Amino acid sequence: MSFDGLRLLIQGWAGAGLLPSGLAHGFLVNALLSGLVIGPVLGGLGTLVVTKRLAFFSEAVGHAALTGVAIGILVGEPYTGPYASLFGYCLLFAILVNYTRNRSDLTSDTLIGVFLSVSLALGASLLLILASRVNIHILENVLFGSVLTVDDRDLTVLLAVAAGVVLVMLPLFNRLLLASFNPALARVRGVPVKGLDYLFIVLITVVTVASVKIIGAILVGALLVIPAAAARVVASSLRGFFLLSIAFASVAAVAGILLPVQLSLPVPSGGAIILAAGALFLGALLVRLVTRGEEG
Amino acid sequence: MSGNTGGTPKGGPAILFDRVDLTLGRTVILDQVSLRVEPGAVHAVVGPNGGGKSSLIRALLGQAPHRGMVRLDWPGEAPGVTAYVPQAVEFDRGLPMTVEDFLAVLCQRRPAFLGPDRRIDYGAALERVGMAGKRRRRFGALSGGERQRVLLAQALIPAPDLVILDEPMTALDETGCTIFEELLADFRAAGTTVLWVEHDLAQVRRLATRVSGLNRRVLFDGPPPAMLSPDRVLDLFSAVPRRTTGNAGDARVVERAAL
Repeated sequence: MSFDGLRLLIQGWAGAGLLPSGLAHGFLVNALLSGLVIGPVLGGLGTLVVTKRLAFFSEAVGHAALTGVAIGILVGEPYTGPYASLFGYCLLFAILVNYTRNRSDLTSDTLIGVFLSVSLALGASLLLILASRVNIHILENVLFGSVLTVDDRDLTVLLAVAAGVVLVMLPLFNRLLLASFNPALARVRGVPVKGLDYLFIVLITVVTVASVKIIGAILVGALLVIPAAAARVVASSLRGFFLLSIAFASVAAVAGILLPVQLSLPVPSGGAIILAAGALFLGALLVRLVTRGEEG
Repeated sequence: MSGNTGGTPKGGPAILFDRVDLTLGRTVILDQVSLRVEPGAVHAVVGPNGGGKSSLIRALLGQAPHRGMVRLDWPGEAPGVTAYVPQAVEFDRGLPMTVEDFLAVLCQRRPAFLGPDRRIDYGAALERVGMAGKRRRRFGALSGGERQRVLLAQALIPAPDLVILDEPMTALDETGCTIFEELLADFRAAGTTVLWVEHDLAQVRRLATRVSGLNRRVLFDGPPPAMLSPDRVLDLFSAVPRRTTGNAGDARVVERAAL
């Protein structure tokens, strides 16, 4: 897919002073577009992640992306977008964690701790072995995200994944929640609990992988967790929870992409996005303390 | 599970347990349990903790690996609506989810965050359990008894033909008990079959049409006044069943020897 038309339009508006001047750069327009996709999707999905207590899991899947990139370079994929290895390895990682959790009596945080450490060890070892083959500075981009490297192919992958995730998630939203409230009740109401479990972790995984370019492997899981956590603190209904989470994630994504460029700060986009999300979380906590302090 | 709200009630199914065995590890939970629940009955199952009451429900819901047969005989061609009232739901008490949101999550396809489906009368269901005024209260902020009432309300959507109750009265206060009594009366009037696991024998004596005593095996089965005599009740709760398969240890020794 080519986004030339849209890019020229936005660059034109930026040139005319209607949008922040940084958007006169084509690469930043790409980054902004992906931020506008990532924000709502991760924010919406995040409400389920937080409710189903999968925060640590989604962090782990993000970290697995590092190993995915290493494997991609090893097998000769372009290091700017080793998608086959990224999707392949992260899906394998996620499904293996869930499969093992269903078949052992270890608590899921212990199990994820084990898988995460082993996966990181593997990724770090591979990357050091590969250090002679590639410019090690690309590691920074992989780890913390970069607005400079988002090309049309990345945008296409992201849009396709986001559209798929939204189409699957919306009709299943209630069922995904119900399965975590009471599996027996869910089954009586016709919810295939185990199957939906797997489906949900696959959703988290693909959307995480598609967002790695912008946010980076280390921090991508955080955008699934922090905006939803902030929304949970201040919302009083599911509607508020969902809409606020989307709003927080979108604001954080856009601010994290635009502010460093506008202010000429040498900060990676992932870092800036998560710092913005963290600030929103802090704000939400304060609002809660002020307005509902008496509830304890 | 939905779409049966408009039609005339066709009545509940009969439930047949035929020589049901359930073993977890080396513990025998259910031992040759045979039981028939008549269509439209309010059939209570009583017994000591660990006597297999909840396991019987899990076997009925197809959620416990059991031997023997569990069958539902529906009066019509197609199975009707089954409702289940669990003892509790597992969720984060601080979750921003109102009572109405909770019912929406359970009962509708339309994502709950978009608001209630107007085709479903949540108000009426909440009215019947005396919770109409608390529609917009946070579900996690309700008392245990109020949450239990909401769990009863969800069982009314859509109108059920079979209701499975797992100790629904545990958290109920006096008003809650009255409401529960009215619901049971409504179920009986509609010909809905009710399978009701309960530990409160006084309530069972008052409200059930039939009662079975379960402690690994069915110890008695009949109309409550006759069945719940002091002697029988003492028997049911004092008998200590052998909880492990008697000669499992011996069998293992034999196996080892054979190897």
